[in-house]
Amino acid sequence: MALRTKLAAFLAALVANLSFAAIAVAEQGVPDLENGAELFQLCAQCHGEDGSGNKLFLAPAIAGLDDWYVEMQLNEFRTGLRGLHFDDIAGMRMRPMSITLRTDADIKDVTAYVAQLPKTIPAKTLDGNADAGKALYTLCGACHGPTAQGIAAMKAPALSNLNDWYLVEQLTKFKMGIRGTRPGDPYGVLMGPSSPMAVTLKTDQSVRDVVAYIVTLAPSSDQPTN
Amino acid sequence: MTDLIANYVPSLSTYSADIDGLIILIAWLVGFWYVLCNIVFFYFIFRYRAKPGVPTSYVTGEEKELKRWITIPHLLVLVCDLFIIYGAVRVWVDVKQTLPETPYATVRVISQQWAWSFVHPGADGKLDTADDIKTVDDLHIVKDKPYIYELMARDVLHDFSVPVFRLKQDAIPGRTIKGWFQATATGVYDIQCAEICGIGHGVMAGRIHISTEEQHAAWIAENTPAAALADMPQADTPNPKALAAR
Repeated sequence: MALRTKLAAFLAALVANLSFAAIAVAEQGVPDLENGAELFQLCAQCHGEDGSGNKLFLAPAIAGLDDWYVEMQLNEFRTGLRGLHFDDIAGMRMRPMSITLRTDADIKDVTAYVAQLPKTIPAKTLDGNADAGKALYTLCGACHGPTAQGIAAMKAPALSNLNDWYLVEQLTKFKMGIRGTRPGDPYGVLMGPSSPMAVTLKTDQSVRDVVAYIVTLAPSSDQPTN
Repeated sequence: MTDLIANYVPSLSTYSADIDGLIILIAWLVGFWYVLCNIVFFYFIFRYRAKPGVPTSYVTGEEKELKRWITIPHLLVLVCDLFIIYGAVRVWVDVKQTLPETPYATVRVISQQWAWSFVHPGADGKLDTADDIKTVDDLHIVKDKPYIYELMARDVLHDFSVPVFRLKQDAIPGRTIKGWFQATATGVYDIQCAEICGIGHGVMAGRIHISTEEQHAAWIAENTPAAALADMPQADTPNPKALAAR
């Protein structure tokens, strides 16, 4: 075979490979919302069709959560960074659900579906002093943002549209080392038993106060739920 | 004969062969009568098939020579039932009604939607002490040692099922149910929930790790809570021989 022919064949193969790679990247980059909606049917059993959560099932509101955060949490559940602690009863319910998502593409699809759901304002279920909580939140705001809208660069999720009972539960779990203490969870450690958060929110009352403030930060344009 | 089942699911507890034997006994007895009934049934269909000029006989079920076809097999089946009842009660008493008098250890098994939690005794061999080792979805035991389990449910009905042990026991909220097992081989095998318990029932899986005493002692040493080690300096290097003596 002449050198020119070999070179042409090589270039053709290279172009073909690059084309397929480009298509693959494009396919990976665009989540399939239809598949996400189908996968979400399992999530909806506990979190509700609108993703507004259900305390009875220990399932928080997830509608409109940032896609990067949902994806990160699903991966943490799948790998056992979350949901494998003996005292994390709600986490243990979620871990097997995450395992039903077999591929990374499935996770991206369902994550994208959750992220595009309209945010909800969960009903208030706990008492706390929001004024006292505002001062306590100053520390939290450094990572989660002044309006608790979350800061992706800090890997700090939005908090304002989460249920108050869920926020209290998670803060308590972080303080007790039930969540965020497994090796390989660099972001969980930032909320762990020896974190500034745990030092600031020493008492149960301080946790309720800061949560009472956080839930006031939900934009009034979001949909209230009962 | 029990290999008929063990070829598909390994038989790895001291009582799994008894349970397999009981299932095989029932299968053979029922199978014998099933085959015999079908042979007689199809023979009669052929023997008394419609023939030109022969009127259909009307059977009232009162004739002695005809009733014998019911009463004799019935009595023979009852005799077979006696064998089955004897075998079933014997296995039931051994597996469900009798706990080992000198168990090696007691483990706590806690079921919930949709996970298994386990509490293992630490180096002291006792539950509810500081060196207890708590795990999720992974149960660790020693081969050839009788264990008692305390089974609980946090929310709804579950069923603690270890197929290789032929062990299946319902877990009922509000109750602590005791049972036992003794593994006969090392390895890692499935734990499953055998009672529909909600949407995650199908993925409510765990693993049982069956080890030698030395391996188990090493696992205890590696997983004893740090706080317990600080409180009990003598427990920081569990002695496999001491564990073996339990």
